[in-house]
Amino acid sequence: MERLSLCIRNLGRHAWRTRIIVLIALLGAFLTFVFENLIDDISRKQSDMFGRAFSGHFLVLDKEIETRNTFGFYYARPEQMMDPGQVTRVRRFLGSLPEVSGSQERIIFSGLYYGEKDAERGFRGVAMDMGAYAQNFTDMYVARGRPLGVGEQGACAPSWYEFEQKKNLAIGQRYVFLLPNRNGEFVDREVLAKGGIDYHSMPKDAIGISSIFFDLDGFRAMVGYERPDATEVVGFLKDARTSGRVLPRVQQWLAANEPGLKVVSWREYAPIFAEIVLGFDVALKTLEGILLAICVLLVVKLTTFSIIERYSEIGTLRAMGFSRGDIAFQFTLEGFLAIAAGSAIGFLLAAGLIGALHATGVHNHAIFFSYMIGDGFRPSFHSAKVVRVAGVFLAVALLAPLLPAIQGGRLSILRTLEKR
Amino acid sequence: MAAVKNGITLRALCKEYRLGKTTVAALCNVDLEIRSGSFVCVAGPSGSGKTTLLNLIGLIDTPTSGTVHVAGEDIQGLPEKLRTRYRSRTLGFIFQSFNLLPVLDVFENVHLPLILHRELSAEEKKDRVMEMIGAVGLADHVRHKPFELSGGQRQRVAIARALVTHPRIVLADEPTANLDSRTGAEVLDLMVRINAERGTTFIFSSHDPKVMERAARVVRLHDGQVEAA
Repeated sequence: MERLSLCIRNLGRHAWRTRIIVLIALLGAFLTFVFENLIDDISRKQSDMFGRAFSGHFLVLDKEIETRNTFGFYYARPEQMMDPGQVTRVRRFLGSLPEVSGSQERIIFSGLYYGEKDAERGFRGVAMDMGAYAQNFTDMYVARGRPLGVGEQGACAPSWYEFEQKKNLAIGQRYVFLLPNRNGEFVDREVLAKGGIDYHSMPKDAIGISSIFFDLDGFRAMVGYERPDATEVVGFLKDARTSGRVLPRVQQWLAANEPGLKVVSWREYAPIFAEIVLGFDVALKTLEGILLAICVLLVVKLTTFSIIERYSEIGTLRAMGFSRGDIAFQFTLEGFLAIAAGSAIGFLLAAGLIGALHATGVHNHAIFFSYMIGDGFRPSFHSAKVVRVAGVFLAVALLAPLLPAIQGGRLSILRTLEKR
Repeated sequence: MAAVKNGITLRALCKEYRLGKTTVAALCNVDLEIRSGSFVCVAGPSGSGKTTLLNLIGLIDTPTSGTVHVAGEDIQGLPEKLRTRYRSRTLGFIFQSFNLLPVLDVFENVHLPLILHRELSAEEKKDRVMEMIGAVGLADHVRHKPFELSGGQRQRVAIARALVTHPRIVLADEPTANLDSRTGAEVLDLMVRINAERGTTFIFSSHDPKVMERAARVVRLHDGQVEAA
């Protein structure tokens, strides 16, 4: 207690220096804490907000299919479709993986419809369980209208839209669609555009590609599938950053159990999103590292200045019988207290900010960030991160002043007394 | 005999400093015996080796050759841990510039050396501190900071601090140099009184004849050597 009291007095005496150290620690802890929590939330948000359609998911499909097109588009021959047994087995396996939140079977196809004045329009079709539509395609889509329900055979308007508005489907209109059946034959079917996303209500600065969505069972019935085949099974990751360890396991299982299938990461056909997540992760971690390094260097410098300024005090204490270790301990404790105090304040401020953002949500319509975090993003606390960041700053608080403090303790008594 | 046995013995003590290419002999073959309980002034002009002598007895510096025995023990041969203990248990220092810690008040400054004395309870420490502050006549200034005290008062605080651990030996390097003559005389009176009451050995340096007069014994140094009496 006596030494602690002496340290606190000395911190108060050298107020400007103490304030600088506290401020550095405060800023460092604040930013590091905010960044570390945001990194996790952004990554998870990416996995979630794209409806797991692009970020944070992967495809299991015939291993002959090329998927080099943007956003996973490919052309499947009928023989490349997965039979129901394969679909079931693959989905069961994916359900056993803790990193995977769910899976879905889909049919991807190309078709034609006759639009205004019987003009032919090509489209990308996606047949999937529309009951899970809202779950898988979340707030990235600024939607009006409603998705199709299970069993509805009408077409949902594309949830992405193009700048060419002519390709819009008019809700409530009937169109003739040319749709491929299981044998690869195109059949005419009259389709009602029943709802979904109204192009005209979409924000004009949003970009994307067009797809027309059909309810899976309805589509199969409409084009005469005798059995419930699918072109792919989609697996959804809880955290997009775990694909590096999940996909090899999936590949290994497929090689042993379904050699005709392969797994394709979203990164392979949507590299820009992987780069965004990775880039954000790297950028924030680099910034944290720089902040920590600056923090440590400045504290070392300031502690050294403090020791030089207090040569006489050091000499007096040593003459009284304080050991080298006592001197080192005192300066280390002073540095530790200042950094710990600053870090604690930084943490509290960061916690307050995250709490406020969690309560209000982050509203943004900037197109770049809308791809990353969408609108209404709500950051939250991650207890493991709290412990880790606090541990790092405690270590910095202890180690940063330690070296100069040890050097201060090793100063010759004579030299320090002569400097008075 | 007992007083000498418990006292300080210097034998063939030498200290050289290297200043660039030059070697300066601060002390040269000093032989000296100081009895326990003495009140000794180490006198000499500036550069005669007074401070060096005190530093060697106080283990602040190490000799080039020779020995320093205190109560029969060669203190220069002690390992670092025991040297530190020797300074905290056996010695008290009074500096020319007082060397008080400005962030601490009178009580805390006097209390400072007792941080190392874990064998004493908080109550015992407090009693000792108040006793010493009272002995130097500063009972009314217990919570004052050094900047609120006069030069003489600060030196009294330094004396109290040097004595609070009940050391056997007090080393004072020019204790009155920064004080006016009247205050310096008061400080010396205090030192004489404590020496008489407690039997503490005082070794102090000075080049002031008036200060030398107060000493029971004067050891004169000139160019690092003890002058014959």
